[in-house]
Amino acid sequence: MTASARLIVFCGKGGVGKTTLSLAAGLRHAIDGRKVLVVSSHPLAELALAVSLEGLSARFPSAAPNLFVVYIDPRDLITELVNKHFPVPMMAQRILNSSIFKNLIEIAPGLKEFFFLEKLQELAERRNSDSSTAVPDYDYLIWDAPASGHFLGTLRSAKAFEAYLTGPLATAGAHLHRFLSNRRNIQLFPVTPLEEMAIAETLETVEAVAKDFQISCSALLINCASPMCSATESDIAQVECMRDSSPAMHFAVDRGLIERERRAELAASLPVPQVLIPRITHWSSDLDLLAKIGGQMDLSQFS
Amino acid sequence: MKIVVCLGTGGVGKTSVAASIALAKAREGAKCLVLTTDPALRLRTALGLKEGLLEQRVPVDEAEGELWAALLDVNATLDEAVRLYAKPRDQERILQHPIYRTIASSLSGMQELMAVERMDQLIRRGFDNLVIDTAPARHALDIFDKPVLFADFSDSGKVRLVSRTYKFAEALGLTSIGRSALEVYGRVESIMGTSMVKEILDFYSLFHPIAEGYSDRARETVALLRDHTVTEFRIVTIPDKALRDARFFVTELKKRDFATSMICVNRTWSHAMPQSVPQGFANELFDWYSSVSASHQRSIEKLRETFGTEIKEIRILSELERDVEGLDSLRRLADQLEPVTQPAARP
Repeated sequence: MTASARLIVFCGKGGVGKTTLSLAAGLRHAIDGRKVLVVSSHPLAELALAVSLEGLSARFPSAAPNLFVVYIDPRDLITELVNKHFPVPMMAQRILNSSIFKNLIEIAPGLKEFFFLEKLQELAERRNSDSSTAVPDYDYLIWDAPASGHFLGTLRSAKAFEAYLTGPLATAGAHLHRFLSNRRNIQLFPVTPLEEMAIAETLETVEAVAKDFQISCSALLINCASPMCSATESDIAQVECMRDSSPAMHFAVDRGLIERERRAELAASLPVPQVLIPRITHWSSDLDLLAKIGGQMDLSQFS
Repeated sequence: MKIVVCLGTGGVGKTSVAASIALAKAREGAKCLVLTTDPALRLRTALGLKEGLLEQRVPVDEAEGELWAALLDVNATLDEAVRLYAKPRDQERILQHPIYRTIASSLSGMQELMAVERMDQLIRRGFDNLVIDTAPARHALDIFDKPVLFADFSDSGKVRLVSRTYKFAEALGLTSIGRSALEVYGRVESIMGTSMVKEILDFYSLFHPIAEGYSDRARETVALLRDHTVTEFRIVTIPDKALRDARFFVTELKKRDFATSMICVNRTWSHAMPQSVPQGFANELFDWYSSVSASHQRSIEKLRETFGTEIKEIRILSELERDVEGLDSLRRLADQLEPVTQPAARP
């Protein structure tokens, strides 16, 4: 049996927690002994500013050798491509150093996005081809996608290359577009908090991806949910009476009620399973936070 | 004229903060405009604007002054630049060019380039205050770096030479000669495909006059942003990200000689707590609120310790129950930013 070469994608508006959830999912699988590759959309130096995996090998010795986080720099891919075409290093270097080439790469619209996607496809497909001969390189490939607009722009670069150009890149574009349009290849997990604008953007993105690539989402991850989202009716009645006791309660109750309402609306407008990830209130380190979130998030049921 | 630029990562409420800064300035009597360069058009929701218009007056009360909002539409800004600066006979060729269409459907760089072009369009319009809401990312500063890169590219004599030689050789039916004369260029073609390279060069030879005019305007605009008497930068963040965001943006701004005037910590849970709380679920909910609130306070304390002396002002903004939507919530935010001494009469 061949392992299905799935690319797990976390997408959504900026700041909804895509990176955190990608890493939390990766950590969870790594703790279970699976090999995980998380492809970040942030250069690692930038990622390190936002989240730190410090203490991983001490706290989760089994996970440390299994969890890989990479950033794919399109410029490196282009260098790789040139080196492949010109095995003589001097010639390759001459091209890479030429200002015409550098400028073309910077200015050519969508080129970097396109090379990135090709690499992602290669990573996903390699697992498939290797599975017959050797142990797969990794069990999960997770893409922490850039924010909605840029995510769609990246996906669409494949289509644009196919549509507007001829030559090797157009052929590659067509190949890539076919890969992206096959729902067996992609598992899409949109992430959203229960906030109006994030929800609106999530719905737009999901709709656009379904329309352009015929990919539907596997489950909706609702991040930072209020405890009121999963409370019983009688609990809700109790806190509603308390609403005016203080500004803090007023805020917490109002927020909770709004979130409940939005969750119900979302279930109607986007009929896919919802995974509720509560807002974590206590954590000692980034790693601790990721482990706690990962513990709340079982996505294997959707594969 | 004064300019305020709001910077921050995604999801911190940058657009709402920018809009409420503009509202606060308008209340002080300035003719004020807020520009969002965010492609998601969130400003429209926040200000309750009509669809379809790229620039419109926000329906605030008369006592609140004159507030305008402008959106950045990359395609429209680019089209306008083509109409303004290209030779009439080239206009249609540019607008129909495959590379132009690819640019329009791609985000790589154009967003940033056109943001500065749009700022330039607006600076010339006679507003007292311009508030700019940048794209939601750490790379937001690209909007001030890329135009300079682009200017360098369009000034590059080599690219013009290649594209001219190419066209010349092609016209004489000497494509292969033209190519072998430019060896590196020929090899680049073998990787990217002849059509791609040819289209790009062809496009930029057409686009060149626009790029040239653009570069000049962009250099002027960036110089204005560097003028500390004209422009101030405000960092918008949320408690959990405050210290990291501040560290990053303060450094990056300093590198570029931009002036950071304020850090706004938005979406803070700082509402007054009840004296006592009953048992049961209410207690659970209260615990939840107070733990989050306490962690916010700790983050803000750390921020003050680190940046309290360096940054003139650190402003804490309470989170509203729902998204900032419509003018009333913007007013609540503006009240926290610049409290109105004599509240404007509202019907």
